[in-house]
Amino acid sequence: MRSLDKELLLDLLVVQSTQPMSDDENIELQRLLKEYPEYNNYEFDEIASLAHMSYHLNDKRIHDKLPSDIKSKILNSQKKIDSLSFYKIKINDFMRSLFYKPAYAWAITVLLTIGLSFSMIEFKNYENNFKYLPLKRGVLQLTSNDLIEYPWYSKESDFALAKGDIVWSNKSQKGFIKISGMPINDPLQKQYQIWIIDPIKYKQPVDGGVFNIKIVGKDIIIPINPKLPISNAKGFAITIEQPGGVVVSSQNLILTAPEVRPESTFTL
Amino acid sequence: MAKGKKIKKIEDSILFSLAREETGAFEKLVDQYGNLIWSIARRYLSNQTEAEDAVQEVFIAIWKSAGRFDPTKASEVTFVSMIARRRLIDHLRKIYRHKNLEPIDDCFDDDALETKSILDKSADVQIISEAINQFAEEDKELLSLSIYQGYSHSEISKLMNIPLGTVKTKIRRNLIKLRETFDQDQNTVVSIHNA
Repeated sequence: MRSLDKELLLDLLVVQSTQPMSDDENIELQRLLKEYPEYNNYEFDEIASLAHMSYHLNDKRIHDKLPSDIKSKILNSQKKIDSLSFYKIKINDFMRSLFYKPAYAWAITVLLTIGLSFSMIEFKNYENNFKYLPLKRGVLQLTSNDLIEYPWYSKESDFALAKGDIVWSNKSQKGFIKISGMPINDPLQKQYQIWIIDPIKYKQPVDGGVFNIKIVGKDIIIPINPKLPISNAKGFAITIEQPGGVVVSSQNLILTAPEVRPESTFTL
Repeated sequence: MAKGKKIKKIEDSILFSLAREETGAFEKLVDQYGNLIWSIARRYLSNQTEAEDAVQEVFIAIWKSAGRFDPTKASEVTFVSMIARRRLIDHLRKIYRHKNLEPIDDCFDDDALETKSILDKSADVQIISEAINQFAEEDKELLSLSIYQGYSHSEISKLMNIPLGTVKTKIRRNLIKLRETFDQDQNTVVSIHNA
């Protein structure tokens, strides 16, 4: 029985390194890997890559050349990402330097107090609240020294186009979801529900609030609203639930934002 | 991964330059591996647009993973192609369809030869090429269809009219055989080096 399991494990590891894997295959693979810890998920990746290159080297038929326009696109996209990271670092440095100077720190405190007053007003009106969310998210990103940022990964093919990330601070108990490419929901039939995974403190994921998607094609930002205090968030998930959400979900996860990229995802 | 690989100077590696954020390192990466990755993508993905998107993602992924490169575990070209293949398999899973069986034009040019020279220089690739050459013709074909041409096991079963179980067993057995040969060779190199 055990040798059959091992054979199946090897088959699945080969599948993993050579072709797209189904959810069922992946579940089975993960189960078997727990039984055989001497194997790892990418057991055959290296040898498959070497074999691939060997076939390429010996293939006399084709010699694809990277088109120059695609090369330019690749270089441009890297420059864009690089410059965004550069500005983020500069803004962080700037914010840090501000707090080293007492006069600036006082000025910022006053500004934040004014800002807070506005945000108190803002909470009375959802539409106004919505438009300040990018700013609040930015402030959280710049001022938290325990910030975690995880990208979303799709667990179902219907949500393969969903993209975005979460930012969360355990200290301030605040966080935001940024997401695009999600299907519009009918709030009277179903709502999206956010879950926070804090395994040390809670056995079940903690409800992080519900939200609706009213538009497609745009990034939307949703504040995470934990119903219980979070000690150490290890990941986040989204499910589809009845209007108002549930306390404990029995639905499939449609998106997850774990610390490490999941083995199985529809996201690139 | 195999133990005891021949270690090249990490300072010579493009990935090392990338990790150190050296100017022009990313362009060097694209120059060096662009043709190879494009070629892998064209084999896995059916249309130009999908391949374009995937290749961009692959390069960004390599750029972001450059700091994880460890020349004692794999050569640079192996590291690059591992990331490329993993990303492309994920991409294929996302779109969940296979490329059409399109005939590929024969052509040769200087850039193609450049790609080959990267691989020619890789001792690891040479070891695997020699090992594959020892396989029976049918085994070579099965491995090529699966690993090089990106067909699923069930597609191969239909294409070659072989039961699915046999396809799986043969591919698995041959990959294990290749890995054993590779590990043996690496261990021999280390023994000689340590003698």
